[in-house]
Amino acid sequence: MATAIEVRHLHKVFRIPHEKRNTIFQAFSGILRPTNYETFAVLQDINFSVEEGEMFGIIGENGSGKSTLLKLMTRILIPTGGSVITRNKVTPFLELGVGFNDDFTAAENIQIYGIIMGLTIREIDEKIDEILEFAGLGRFRDTKLSNFSSGMQVRLAFSTAIRTNPKILLLDEVLAVGDMEFQKKCLDVLERFKKEGVTIVFVSHDLDAVKKHCGRAMLLQHGEQVMVGETKEVVARYENQESSVSIKN
Amino acid sequence: MSVQHIKELYNYRNLIWILAWVDFKQRYKNSILGYFWSLLEPLLMLSILYVVFSNLMKMQVEYYPLFLLQGIIMWSFFTRTTTGSLLSIVIKPNLVKKVYFPRDILVISSCTTALLMSIFESVVFILFMIIFRIPLSIYIIFIPVIILIFFFMSLGISLALAALHVYYRDLRYIWALVLQVGFFATPIVYPIYALPPALWVLTYNPIAQIIYLARDVTLYSKPPNLASLSYVIIVAFFAICIGYWIFMRREPKFAEDL
Repeated sequence: MATAIEVRHLHKVFRIPHEKRNTIFQAFSGILRPTNYETFAVLQDINFSVEEGEMFGIIGENGSGKSTLLKLMTRILIPTGGSVITRNKVTPFLELGVGFNDDFTAAENIQIYGIIMGLTIREIDEKIDEILEFAGLGRFRDTKLSNFSSGMQVRLAFSTAIRTNPKILLLDEVLAVGDMEFQKKCLDVLERFKKEGVTIVFVSHDLDAVKKHCGRAMLLQHGEQVMVGETKEVVARYENQESSVSIKN
Repeated sequence: MSVQHIKELYNYRNLIWILAWVDFKQRYKNSILGYFWSLLEPLLMLSILYVVFSNLMKMQVEYYPLFLLQGIIMWSFFTRTTTGSLLSIVIKPNLVKKVYFPRDILVISSCTTALLMSIFESVVFILFMIIFRIPLSIYIIFIPVIILIFFFMSLGISLALAALHVYYRDLRYIWALVLQVGFFATPIVYPIYALPPALWVLTYNPIAQIIYLARDVTLYSKPPNLASLSYVIIVAFFAICIGYWIFMRREPKFAEDL
């Protein structure tokens, strides 16, 4: 099977200036004093590849670089070193409802969001009822988004996103929201995607979900890749590491 | 700015359009008068300036109200494109940080919103043209060309402003001052020949040239002056090149620096 994502020697360094110069005045007044930067290596020498149709998990503590890694894979951020090669279009799903607008109705928001995620206007028109149905919001088609609860907004966003025919899907902690029933619906959709051969990269703290759905996984710690391999072993390693930390404390 | 980039933009044309359209709709959505606000604003400007300048200063310009209105509509197009675009990157941090698309789309769609608003305002202008029975000439066909040149010139300046504003947040205040000076430095309320000889430099203002080209072909049945037409095309070309150069150099770091 072909490789869908290939990550080679990936490095990312953030430069954090000691004093942030944010105005022209500051830039001029500081022209003689060079700015000092604190460099912060978020990711160091990451190497892995994801096969087409595979569901790949990424786990690790908060701040271990998971989200940065996903952003590098979508071209939102530019790597400091190394490369990310993706074959096929990448659909990032880093936050639900990017571009949602409170002043517009559910139907209008589906349009906006769908286009941001790469659908055409015609495709959206065809799918709009289906999307509302799946989100369980059929009755609220013409209700303004500002009247929606946060749960309803998330459902609307997710339902739209999964209708975008993704080839490579990046999911960042999207299951943390929504009630049990909706979570189950989402996982069913992921299973269906897997059957259809969609490549999925799945970042989550829900280790059970990772174990259940991902064939392989990677463990990140402080921006370094600790382990890549069978999900069971990777999760076990992570749990060991966690428990040893808590014993120390 | 390469052929490949233009292709990519073409693939994202739906996105450009929906962002522009959403912005346009949102501007009037919560007001009772709705879209009519858009018409009232230039009309109010027109009446004030008309009263002041035609009565007090005894300006001798043929079709002065239309002369004035066209100047106002075109100047506000420039104001809207540049101020709207200036903020276009920083007011949508989520779009920059959470999804990928070429970032100049935000600027292009913001300029498109301004264009939509100006086209809408032009309805008033067309009405005035009918009321005043302005004779139309064949030269009116140059209007789309002039608008296109104006659009690209504004887009170039907008790209530079939008990219720089991410790093220099006081730029918007400076730009507001520039625009205020620009309004009076541009022959909007007065004819260009009313400028004292000492201020001859102001005739090189490309926006003044564009406004004059538009007035010539719509109001005065004159062919466009070729010298000033080529002048504004050259300025627009350089504006786009420099604008893109500044924008592309900074674009890769927007997501980190917002």
